[in-house]
Amino acid sequence: MIYESTLYKVLRYVILVLACVFVLIPLIPLVFMAFKTGAEYSATSVLTPPSNFFNFYNFSYAIRVGKLGKAFLNTAIILVISLFFQIVFTSMVAYVLHRFDFVGRKVVKTLFTLTMFIPVVATQTLIFRMMYAAKLINTMWSVVLLYSGVGIVGIYIMLNQLDTISKEIDEAAWIDGAGFFYTFFRIIFPLMRPACTTLLIINGIGLYNDFYIPNLYLNSDVQTFTVALYKFYGSMSTPFEIVSAAIIIGMIPIIIIFLFLQKYIYNGLAAGSVKM
Amino acid sequence: MKNGKRTLFIIAFLLIPVLHLLIFSYVPIIGNFVVSFTNWKGFGDLEFIGLRNYKKLFTNTEYIAMFKNCGWYLLAAIPQLVFAFLLAVVINGKFRGLNVFKGILILPYLLNGVIVSTIFIIFFQNSGSLNTILGMLHLDVFQHKWLQDLKIVNPAIASISIWRYYGMNFIMFFGALQAIPPELYEAALLDGCTKWQEIRYISIPFIRKVLFINIILSISGSIQVFEIPYIMLNGSNGTLTPVIQIQQSMYDNRVGFAAALSVLVFLIVMIVITLQKILVKEED
Repeated sequence: MIYESTLYKVLRYVILVLACVFVLIPLIPLVFMAFKTGAEYSATSVLTPPSNFFNFYNFSYAIRVGKLGKAFLNTAIILVISLFFQIVFTSMVAYVLHRFDFVGRKVVKTLFTLTMFIPVVATQTLIFRMMYAAKLINTMWSVVLLYSGVGIVGIYIMLNQLDTISKEIDEAAWIDGAGFFYTFFRIIFPLMRPACTTLLIINGIGLYNDFYIPNLYLNSDVQTFTVALYKFYGSMSTPFEIVSAAIIIGMIPIIIIFLFLQKYIYNGLAAGSVKM
Repeated sequence: MKNGKRTLFIIAFLLIPVLHLLIFSYVPIIGNFVVSFTNWKGFGDLEFIGLRNYKKLFTNTEYIAMFKNCGWYLLAAIPQLVFAFLLAVVINGKFRGLNVFKGILILPYLLNGVIVSTIFIIFFQNSGSLNTILGMLHLDVFQHKWLQDLKIVNPAIASISIWRYYGMNFIMFFGALQAIPPELYEAALLDGCTKWQEIRYISIPFIRKVLFINIILSISGSIQVFEIPYIMLNGSNGTLTPVIQIQQSMYDNRVGFAAALSVLVFLIVMIVITLQKILVKEED
């Protein structure tokens, strides 16, 4: 490592502490607000801490009235099904592209690569009509269907992983009489676990946070967590301290991921982006 | 026999993902081009009206304004990238508290649009944190009705994207800095290189490509802005963006017009990314 002067060391901490202040200043009033009573909210400034940090009334009220429990369950169902298909399909496509040479291989790879030119927001006009015709609007299946595709970043993460798995393993299995399907699902797929974990976390966060697609397709009683929060907040009758409590509940899964799986987020996002 | 099984296997593995890709990416984008020349309402026959939809987009001041709004988000990307780069450089090392800082600094990037919007409603509302802090510092002259003043609302909400997205740029810069071969640092150490020279002659040249990718992402992202202005203000107070307009037109059964606007967004994104590919190739 390069010698770091004391001045640089001090400067580093100054910059980092200021950056943390920049991150936390907008968040603090939200936390304060979630613990305030209605009267307290209207009487005090947003920067005044609540008189009682153990006032959980807003949280229980938000869960009850915002139907957050049901929305959370919907999100969980959508996530589990979509992520399952995403990971299985992505690993299948990557495996075939990596291990086999066949007519049309280049075309398939190009088709997937070119999707980076197609913004999701520019395709929904006609997909919305398709979903409407198929009577899938306001059902989870519209969202699951859209989420179950294979993305190019995922393919790259899986291809990188396959580079590290020797082709001799496949060949040995074939010589022993194992079929192609058996070889992939029983031998190779389990070896791809690190790439699957990365994809699971990166796409899991992405889908949990997605607002555009569920807001477009789920408008009534079937809602994901983000849409439920939005509806809750969009109705002006909901007091702001209740909304704040709901928002904090929505942050809990993210905070948990953030505490325990940070390493994957750094590695995964960096791996996906460098390939672009 | 083996060959037949091999072909069957390849087809079985590619069939569903490729069909999905065609149906949900290629058919709608090609279909958009066709529909954009019609006044289709989402049902009934296609009636071709030539370039009328596009003409509307380029002549109606309301629609031109929404592309101007995207400019504010693009402008916000400049401090965003500088901030992210600065943080990636100073955090690239070994020191006490490294992981705590890494954790806090990526937090905003992990929060969804509804959460971020709520946080910044509290921040920008008339009696919100920003005006309160300005009051405490006796800077009352700078207090504004941030979300109502038509001159200020767009730059105000565009600045939120600095807070929200710098984490993404930061992670990418940091990843690129970590990928610099350690031999380079060792050689620099032997040459008696200072920290400043290290940043100038090793870090900056090495992350040029990633910096470029980030600039491209910012441009293509700013044309696709949706969540913050939609959730905070529903596109009102002059905060309309192309993607909000696409959604509103879809709901109003103006499918032909929504398609034309989608085509425009698609073309802009495509041109920007193509430019990136060409320039990166030239550099290599």
